[in-house]
Amino acid sequence: MLELYGIQKYYNPGTVNEMCMFSDFNLVIPEKQFISIIGSNGSGKTSLLNIICGSIPIDEGKILLDGVNISKWEEFQRHRKIGRVFQNPALGSCPHLTILENMSLADNKGKAYNLRYGTNRKRLQDYRELLFQLRIGLEDKLDVKVGNLSGGQRQALSILMSTMTPIEFLILDEHTAALDPNTAETIMQLTDRIIKEKQITAIMVTHNLRYAVEYGNRLLMMHQGHIIIDKSGAEKEAVTVESLVGKFSEISIELGN
Amino acid sequence: MESILLGVFEQGMIYSIMAMGIFITYAILDFPDMTTDGSFPLGGAVTVALMTSGITGIAVFGLVIPSYIVALPLAFIVGAAAGVLTGVIHVKFKVRDLISGIIMMTALFTINLRVAGSANVPIFSRDNMFMNPLVSSVFTGNGKKYSTLLIIFFVVLICKLILDAYLRTRSGLLLRAVGDNPQFVTTLARDKGNVKILGLAIANGLIALSGSLMAQWQRVFDLQQGTGTMVIGLASVIVGMSLTKGFSFIRATTAVILGSIIYRGCIAIAIRFGMSANDLKLITAALLFVILVLSREKKKKVAHHA
Amino acid sequence: MMKKGLRFLSIGICVVLMIGLIGGCVQKATETPIPPTEEPVVEVSPEAEAAPVTEEAAAAEQASAEKVYTVGINQFAEHGSLDNCREGFIEGLAAKGLIEGQNLKIDYQNAQTDIGIANQIAQIFVSNKVDLICGIATPSAQASYNAASKANIPVIYTAVTSPEAAELVKPDGTNPGMITGTSDLLPAKAQLEMIREVLPEAKKIGILYTTSEANSKPMIELYEKLAPEYGFELVIKGISTGADIPTAADTVLNEVDCMTNLLDNTVVNSLPTILDKANAKKIPVFGSEIEQVRIGCLAAEGINYLELGRTTGEMAADVLLGNAKAEDLKFQTIEESNLYLNEKVAKELGITIPEALLSRAVETFQD
Repeated sequence: MLELYGIQKYYNPGTVNEMCMFSDFNLVIPEKQFISIIGSNGSGKTSLLNIICGSIPIDEGKILLDGVNISKWEEFQRHRKIGRVFQNPALGSCPHLTILENMSLADNKGKAYNLRYGTNRKRLQDYRELLFQLRIGLEDKLDVKVGNLSGGQRQALSILMSTMTPIEFLILDEHTAALDPNTAETIMQLTDRIIKEKQITAIMVTHNLRYAVEYGNRLLMMHQGHIIIDKSGAEKEAVTVESLVGKFSEISIELGN
Repeated sequence: MESILLGVFEQGMIYSIMAMGIFITYAILDFPDMTTDGSFPLGGAVTVALMTSGITGIAVFGLVIPSYIVALPLAFIVGAAAGVLTGVIHVKFKVRDLISGIIMMTALFTINLRVAGSANVPIFSRDNMFMNPLVSSVFTGNGKKYSTLLIIFFVVLICKLILDAYLRTRSGLLLRAVGDNPQFVTTLARDKGNVKILGLAIANGLIALSGSLMAQWQRVFDLQQGTGTMVIGLASVIVGMSLTKGFSFIRATTAVILGSIIYRGCIAIAIRFGMSANDLKLITAALLFVILVLSREKKKKVAHHA
Repeated sequence: MMKKGLRFLSIGICVVLMIGLIGGCVQKATETPIPPTEEPVVEVSPEAEAAPVTEEAAAAEQASAEKVYTVGINQFAEHGSLDNCREGFIEGLAAKGLIEGQNLKIDYQNAQTDIGIANQIAQIFVSNKVDLICGIATPSAQASYNAASKANIPVIYTAVTSPEAAELVKPDGTNPGMITGTSDLLPAKAQLEMIREVLPEAKKIGILYTTSEANSKPMIELYEKLAPEYGFELVIKGISTGADIPTAADTVLNEVDCMTNLLDNTVVNSLPTILDKANAKKIPVFGSEIEQVRIGCLAAEGINYLELGRTTGEMAADVLLGNAKAEDLKFQTIEESNLYLNEKVAKELGITIPEALLSRAVETFQD
């Protein structure tokens, strides 16, 4: 379970560009919930993810993961329990290393990176099976450098690798945005399958309203650092793309566009 | 002719250990490490300090290891310490990479002078790796000429094999990952700063080891010798890696060794054709530029591709 | 496709360069007229060598050019004193009948202050089987000795301030191998004597030196040893770069009655700064060579590098002609020094230079 209480975050404090991103922001995410977050640019979606991961510090408030306050933890320390997939497929793997080496690294998360042999031959068959489940033919390309793969292949691999070791929390940061529609669809289905299979708590930020409606069991819409829609369970099932589009126009009118 | 080639190979291979260090900082970590210009003579300074200290050897399990051999691991350790300091300045104090190297290089200039005791310390009168009773008893007659090359080859081979093996361990994979995609290392719940520091330590350890060998080979330590070491290393790495790019079976470390020898060869040619050493630097610069442009090294910075 | 082509092009360039190296060597080998018997080069027992060699010396004196000797000059840096050494060296060889272009071939290379390059130059000389290598300045001398000692080629060095510290002479004064030469240790004794004559009342002498310059240390040690004999006290300040000089000079000038200079490159390059500051305080500065007196030092007991080079060249000729063996020749230090004076500076400082000095000065600058 992830809890955020009284989060406050100012950008460029003390300058003319000072901007309040969050003030007294609260959010509780119970276990095994799959949340999709939508919102216009600058609404605070990505900032929220960055705050959870620790890539940007907060001014005030606390973040509890399973009751433990992690707000003072370094980004890398938080990643012991958190997995993350980025919008940029290149960020989820190492281009100059082979698929096998990338998977071995991911497989070793949480253990010591010592002088033992980097790739474990015993796990080879397991890796192949995992890759086979992606159904994009990567199982025969274990020795191919990841840099030679397509964006979709890399993103699929990123999702697979981020969930290889037991994590409590998966963060999906517009992870289909840089892909073509077909590939995006495949990746989205794959994501859903993995989240359901492994029963992981997940947050997905997306600009694709249809994905937000179709996937996950809770939907948040953010606007200027506040949650303006929060629907889960049956309420969420009732949400349609049209209603979300309507809400977006409402906001635009509010802003005078 | 033969002795020119011998000299090119001997020096080229000694410098190739330094180039392996540059390979780690430049090609793996993407870190322009100016510490090199200080850690190379640091290896030499430590070596001559030990050899002129009067300690002729250190007993390990009843076996006396002569000080010229002890000098090699000692140089590695001291060089690694310098690398750690550069890394700490960069990672913990958030000083830019180039500047942290320059800070350390400047500090090392004084340290080298203090360690060696003087700007020029000859060790002509002492046994070294290449000239000692054991070598002269093993190599007799015709083999004598090649004894130095063989010893250097042996040391380079050991360094290369260990480095190759290391780069395939879990720690080594993580090191390669941090240069390739630092964010990935963070997602693996590892502190990318510490991995960088580790890389700088190994690199500067190798560079100092190379400096130790060089001091023993030329039988004199010269304080000013460090200047330009990084450029020699960069040239070796870039030349080696560009030339062997099409041949995937050649390991990067092998490519670096070849690059270092080729670089020395080019200098020998330049001297033979009567070019002054000043022109040499311009030629090195031109060679580097041309090869870099020709090979158009794909920038490894992940953020640039999408 | 394009990229592949370029890669092959660069490999091609490399191959061409390598072939160039090999070709160059072969060409050089045929150029170098070493007699097929290679008699003067190596491993001839002393007795066997003695007879033909004296004949050859006689022959050389008559300038009959049946044997052409090759001498490689490995010079560490390009600057006035060292260039003078080289010129003197060639003159010295000529004085003994070895004339460049006739029976002598000079291969001159400059390492531009890089000992790594000095090493390679020495190796190339060795592989060209030169008859003798001349190393000018300490690192070049050391690099030449290192390469030549494996090939039994004699090395003659010059402009090495302390052959002992450079380990080019054994502690017992003998040569460590086929190597000898000349030292450019400053005539410190003469300098101190001269300073005493000019300034009978002076007590403290200031010296600035660069800690990273190898030659400065033995000079400082010599001065420290000799100064008490003349009733002087030394104030020595080490610097690491030229940028430290203004501050260091100010500090030293506050304490001393006069200053004296070594052959320290960094300090010599900043001499105008030091002179400005010293003149403002009316403190005389003594130099170590003619050029320093020309630009404003009061006086100097310096050695003549041309002379030093000549002595070296004569030693080299003796070795080449077989009149002496490098391992037996003791290294030489120029005993006499030349006095240089600057009367204009003396006038400005209000110092009267004793008549004895004026009369024995080799050169006196007036304006």
